[in-house]
Amino acid sequence: MRAGLAAGGGLVLGGLLPACSEGGRTTEVASGANGDEPRRGGTVRFGVIEGSQAGNLDAHKPVGSGAFRGWALYSKLWEWGLDARPKLALAEEAEVNADATEWTIRLHKDLEFHHGKTISADDVIFSLLRLTDPQLASPYAGYLYSLLRNDVKKLDERTVRIPFEKGAGLVALAECWMSWGGIVPTDYDPVNNVVGAGPYRLKSFTPGQRSVFTRFDNYFKSGQPYFDEVEILDFSDQTGRLQALQAGQIDIAPNLPFEQQAFLKADPRFEVVSSETDVWHSFDMNLEKAPFDDPRVRKAFRLIADREELVARVLQGQGRVANDLYSPSDPAFNHDIPQRRQDLAEATRLLKEAGHGNGLDVELVTSGGAGANAALVFAQQAKKAGVNVTVSKVDGSIFTGPKRNDWTFSTGGSVSRPFLLTVQQHDGPRAVGNKTHFKDPRFAELITQALGQPDLDRRRALVGEAQRIQHESGGMLIWGYSNVLDAVSKDIGGVTPDRTGFAGWRTDRIWRRSIA
Amino acid sequence: MTTLSIGPQHLLPQLRRTAAALRARAPAWLPWFIGRLLSGVGVVLVISFIVFGATQALPSDPARMILGPEAPEHTIETLRRQLGLDRPLVLQYVDWAGQVVSGNLGRSIDSNVPVAELMAGRFANSLTLTLAVAAVAFPLALVLGIALALRRDSLFDRAVLSSVVLFKAVPGFVIGICLVMIFSTSVFNILPAASLLDPALPAWRQPQYLILPTATLALSVATYLLRLVRASMIEAMDSEYVTAARLRGVPERRIIWRHAVPNALIPAIQGVAMTFRVLFGGAVLAEVIFSYPGIGNTLNAAIEMRDLPLIQGIVLVVTVGVVAINLAADLITVLLTPRLRTATRIRARSPGLRNAASLWRTGKSWRVSV
Repeated sequence: MRAGLAAGGGLVLGGLLPACSEGGRTTEVASGANGDEPRRGGTVRFGVIEGSQAGNLDAHKPVGSGAFRGWALYSKLWEWGLDARPKLALAEEAEVNADATEWTIRLHKDLEFHHGKTISADDVIFSLLRLTDPQLASPYAGYLYSLLRNDVKKLDERTVRIPFEKGAGLVALAECWMSWGGIVPTDYDPVNNVVGAGPYRLKSFTPGQRSVFTRFDNYFKSGQPYFDEVEILDFSDQTGRLQALQAGQIDIAPNLPFEQQAFLKADPRFEVVSSETDVWHSFDMNLEKAPFDDPRVRKAFRLIADREELVARVLQGQGRVANDLYSPSDPAFNHDIPQRRQDLAEATRLLKEAGHGNGLDVELVTSGGAGANAALVFAQQAKKAGVNVTVSKVDGSIFTGPKRNDWTFSTGGSVSRPFLLTVQQHDGPRAVGNKTHFKDPRFAELITQALGQPDLDRRRALVGEAQRIQHESGGMLIWGYSNVLDAVSKDIGGVTPDRTGFAGWRTDRIWRRSIA
Repeated sequence: MTTLSIGPQHLLPQLRRTAAALRARAPAWLPWFIGRLLSGVGVVLVISFIVFGATQALPSDPARMILGPEAPEHTIETLRRQLGLDRPLVLQYVDWAGQVVSGNLGRSIDSNVPVAELMAGRFANSLTLTLAVAAVAFPLALVLGIALALRRDSLFDRAVLSSVVLFKAVPGFVIGICLVMIFSTSVFNILPAASLLDPALPAWRQPQYLILPTATLALSVATYLLRLVRASMIEAMDSEYVTAARLRGVPERRIIWRHAVPNALIPAIQGVAMTFRVLFGGAVLAEVIFSYPGIGNTLNAAIEMRDLPLIQGIVLVVTVGVVAINLAADLITVLLTPRLRTATRIRARSPGLRNAASLWRTGKSWRVSV
């Protein structure tokens, strides 16, 4: 079977995704700014804010701050590298065949769960089938749409073969896995037996209030993690969290709002770690509704946006200008497409050509946060091209409610993720949140091919062409990528800028300086 | 053997005798009390149904809120089916009510933890905070209120009243944030800014986290009670029985403490009840500023998540609590007012409430109707 795979053109993953560093049982030296060495011991307190959700502990269906807790509790076959690319973790080797319809994954030797059981192929299969179980109703199962669940096979105690439908290979398995694929034992229960192989094991969980974790001594990265205990505290108010930080009650406040950085930058006790990420912000134009069914109007709107001003005013300078494309850190991203800039004369001309010479009225729907500010700035910019943009703010539950994909013109954006995952969510052929109703046959074909193309150079060509189409006729006006700020006590080491935006989440890398 | 032979014809006169004896011995206010008790049960039922319906009327639903914007429609449908949200509203309500009667409040949709377990900790925290506020605010309001009434229109009275107005006018969150700046972050660093209670210990064992929320709430509660006590005390001191006592040469001290104060306290009972009602249902103000893990924030979050079992559970407990507090306040009012205690029929539904409201608004007592 293995020979057959090799004959069929098996490739070793390390060679095809250049970012996949050797991974595994290497000791990561997480040096702080002073070049000092990590120390063991002590406690760290995180203050997290996740909307109103109390959240849970489920590895495959994390709700609210459950995703944050998952970083402490669970390990995966691949994990997020600092460059936002997949890096082998529990798996020592991953092979994929030429059309990405068959993955063969081998675990490291002697890996252990929190309760002492050895991690075997059965647990990997159990975790994969649990994530994709329709009855679990995980929102992330859809990313593995072509998985042949009934044919996942254990080759030996440490090796698993994962097949996908013919013609619908999934090279993005690694990206999916690093995002949602926590490995759990076959006796796992998200409430009564919360066991994983992550750096910390669960001690107690009080929803919406506090969760406490203790060090897992047999973590797969030797020497890590460093703390004896980790506490994750849920806050519901930004000001409340800032006060707790200033009073020394918490050590790390991940995802600090931009307007709070001024309070902390002046304070010698804290460091604000700013990470450039792929978190993107957009205005989404619905291609099925007037006036955006006319490509000239879409182009005009993309020329109206003064992206520098949007980044300066909405992101308070904490970000970069975007070129109507997402996932710039993806190795397949097309950096050759020229940056679009504000051109009011051309925009006015296009609008006139489209029959809007006497002005145009559009409603821009948003639900608050950075999106609401961006909408107001864009409305000002649009006036200069004779477009009257009315900003309507609706409640979040309505914005993402049953009509979430029906707005004519709305604010959008998402987290830092690789191209092949983002496209599956937003404008690809099976996209769930296709607010722009972008349906280009050539684009869909290119995406399907790219998803089944393990060779990076060939995939780069496919993605490159797909991005040209998005850039030319897509419905998203992506104006910027924002940084992620993490406020960290100077006594904490190991929080370093991170493309993923997860700098303040990596519980296995951080440590306390004042430990003797 | 003999008891068995007693037929209905013997039983009837005996029953009549017992009923008559009961009527003779039972206090006059008992029928009123039983009526109030029954209507209280009705209120709880009606409110639980209204809240159930209102939650369903909100845009979006639990399945969608839990799964977030990335979930495909068919996944949302699966979860809706699993949660039973695709069934008719009445059926869902009957199911829930049946479970509650058998002592099961269900599981939170959000965190998958039993509702009873989730609520127990939060209600205990809210109750602790409520009692702490009461312990500070009530004696303060009482002593100051009586003192002000006795020094009516003096410089002291006017100065205190003006500062009371100031506290009333400044929003509670401003008071809270000022206290945090003074005691936790900017000036001194002696008290915690956030009340990060350890869930493993009861709240009263962690007094350092109670001080600032208690102070903030007590400041706003005490000002209200203080005015109530002052007005009611002034009225008592102006009353005819005090004048009569003075004419008889009763010492002033005895007039104040034996005659005026007990009467002046009756309207304050309603003020105290109101304070309990508001705080028990969650002091959202303190819970937001100090991240205090009380019931108000939990309810707020549950509504935003459309976490039906949790919303229903909290509303049920709050409603029962409010009904019980009202009933207790009215019963105490009745028992402390001789005229009401002995009346053959109490006409007003809540005899003390209107009196307190009128005192608070106009400084004049509303005559209790009997």
